[in-house]
Amino acid sequence: MLLILYVLACLLAPQTARADALAEMRKDGRLLWGGDQEGGGPYVFPRPDDPARVTGFEVDFAARLGEYLKLEAVFTQGQWDRMPDMLRTRKIHAIINGYEFTPERAEVMEASIPYYVYALQLMARKDDSAINSWDDLRKGQRGAKLKIGALTGSAAESYVRRFCAGLCEVVSYDGNTDSMREVETGKLRATVQDTPIASFYGSRFPALRRIGEPVARGYYVVYVRKGETALLQAINEAIVLMVRNGDLERIYRSYGIWDEQQTELADIVDKGRFYGYYKAADAKVEKNRMPAREDVQAGTRKRGWRVVKDYGGILLQSAGMTVILSTISFPLAILLGLLVAVGRLYGPRWLRLPLAGYVEFLRGTPLMLQLYFLFFFLPEIGVAVPAFWTGILGLAVNYSAYEAEIYRAGLQAVPKGQMEAALSLGMPRGMALRRIVVPQAVRIVIPPVVNDYIALFKDTSVCSVVTIVELTKRFSVLSMSTQATIELMAMTAILYLLMSYPMSLLSGRIEQRLGLEQAA
Amino acid sequence: MITVTGLVKKHGPNTILKGISFKVRKGEVHAVIGPSGGGKSTFLRCINGLEQFQGGTVRVGEHVLTPATDPRRDAQLLEAVRRRTGFVFQQFNLFPHLTVLENVIEAPVHVLRLSRETAVERARALLDRVGLTAKQDAYPRGLSGGQQQRVAIARALVMEPESILFDEPTSALDPVMAGEILSLMADLARDGQTMIVVTHSMSFARNVADQVHVFADGYDVECGPPSGVFEEPQHPTTQAFLTQTARD
Repeated sequence: MLLILYVLACLLAPQTARADALAEMRKDGRLLWGGDQEGGGPYVFPRPDDPARVTGFEVDFAARLGEYLKLEAVFTQGQWDRMPDMLRTRKIHAIINGYEFTPERAEVMEASIPYYVYALQLMARKDDSAINSWDDLRKGQRGAKLKIGALTGSAAESYVRRFCAGLCEVVSYDGNTDSMREVETGKLRATVQDTPIASFYGSRFPALRRIGEPVARGYYVVYVRKGETALLQAINEAIVLMVRNGDLERIYRSYGIWDEQQTELADIVDKGRFYGYYKAADAKVEKNRMPAREDVQAGTRKRGWRVVKDYGGILLQSAGMTVILSTISFPLAILLGLLVAVGRLYGPRWLRLPLAGYVEFLRGTPLMLQLYFLFFFLPEIGVAVPAFWTGILGLAVNYSAYEAEIYRAGLQAVPKGQMEAALSLGMPRGMALRRIVVPQAVRIVIPPVVNDYIALFKDTSVCSVVTIVELTKRFSVLSMSTQATIELMAMTAILYLLMSYPMSLLSGRIEQRLGLEQAA
Repeated sequence: MITVTGLVKKHGPNTILKGISFKVRKGEVHAVIGPSGGGKSTFLRCINGLEQFQGGTVRVGEHVLTPATDPRRDAQLLEAVRRRTGFVFQQFNLFPHLTVLENVIEAPVHVLRLSRETAVERARALLDRVGLTAKQDAYPRGLSGGQQQRVAIARALVMEPESILFDEPTSALDPVMAGEILSLMADLARDGQTMIVVTHSMSFARNVADQVHVFADGYDVECGPPSGVFEEPQHPTTQAFLTQTARD
């Protein structure tokens, strides 16, 4: 059903850009660029001194790009693999997030010239003398294949899979640095990382060493919507200037990720050779006004109470988002669910089948898919709901199906004689439902409803797929950039418990009170 | 006041009522007796529209229910009929989430739209009459079956219906409590309350009713004043039924 709607939307939606994005952006004065801070350093990650804000070489790059375009660069959080959807549905103007140039992506989006040349770096433990080259990976040990870690869906993953060709085992991880940690602990023998990560996090993982030269070089590029050539041209010209003026070198050096591969950037700019690149040879060279700055380093890993002290505040703040999401969406879910249940049991016959379909559809499809649908499909048919309200709406509608079923059971548990007694007193059906049947059903369903509230409370974490940063997402983001996973996990779990346990207590109290009322 | 003509009620392949005609005048007490499964309760439920039926008519005052009467479309008609005919259930059916007083004032306040004060005044008078003033703030679960049924009668009376339908009001009660309820009903009858009572209490039918009807197998097989029905039963079913109950 979703698929049909989607296809329909694709047919209905205008295929070309509606207006020149650059002109719109000039009016608004902002360049909205998308990235996922969960990706970690050195790209976009929470500032160690102020985790509510982001830093990273791409943050600096975007800011400088904005200066050249005379626009304010504004970071927009989104899930890394959903960036093209966010771009298509106009939630952002550009993707700047370690997106490699690939011909497939260039088919559906406009790719700028590269702003960084990356390669793949093989890493293993310092004390592991068996691995000294890529070829050692294929040798295995005592008949068992060696395990190599890589980031899910990355160029590194597909490269190492091709390289292994069945002679070694590739394990995929969702976080950049997960596999580095796994090598350190000995669960993996080696990992393949993009060079910026290997350079930036080298100090965090002192037990690792680089094996051989980086291989398989590729390009990080800025992607904009298909057909927006004016914006693309402007970005390309800005990148040309940033290369010639030394802005890029300055930024990359400050993160310790400038290497000799980057000289190719100048080569591309001078010779104008790159897929889809409009040569900007006549772009004016300005004097570099970029202030010098201190080097940004990952430093050593924070541990113990230090983590609690530095990140407790931001976690607590994100827990607030979790509370807000659940306290707004659940009452809506209850109301909607009650209406659906009453409609199914007492409504006109023609309404019952659609309502049954509503319940089955929402219960039978994942919440995540429904949120994607609301967030990425509605804009296609011209309904743009902000991320926050998409989350509220998605949770409320999804849970309304479960509440409807609970209420249906509750309403059916009220003896038939209650409705008959109310009717025999001359009450209209609606009044009998409202005053006699529903109040009794509500008492019956309190325990399962509270149970669902706690479930919804934890399901708010799915809202991160529509760019909302709540407690779980914040935990992922922080743990990816700090590697203090254990401490952060404990704090997050405690926060969830602190929030959900009082609800259990409260429901116990309500149950007890209603029980007394009826037994008195 | 209530006129039933040729009432037919079917339930799937079974015909529960096979053409009942029945006339109740103001102030009369009619008792309906007979073996179980004879259609007594169904008949009562057809009169106030809790059951739809397939043939005949039910006339309550100027309101007429027919087989075409639809619970949704003709909701207002049904509400009008029900306001004129109180109903007392075998299982009491008090509202468990409301106190005794709230049970009684619920309909006057929300259906008749009386002010709360007026409703409470009426309710107190009735609770006093059924002897439950002390229990007005209790919840139904805290009451004995007999007390619950007395509240249910007060709840029906407070609407000041022209007639009250009693559906085996004492069948769920032990003999002592049943006796209390029956004497309360006899009181109401003395005050001129129009009633149709489906009952297994032969003494009530014999001593209180103006007319006794014997229902068997969907027919009103015999009706008349209690003296006639009890002393000189004409129909074999009545004779068998009375012999049976006398033996109990």
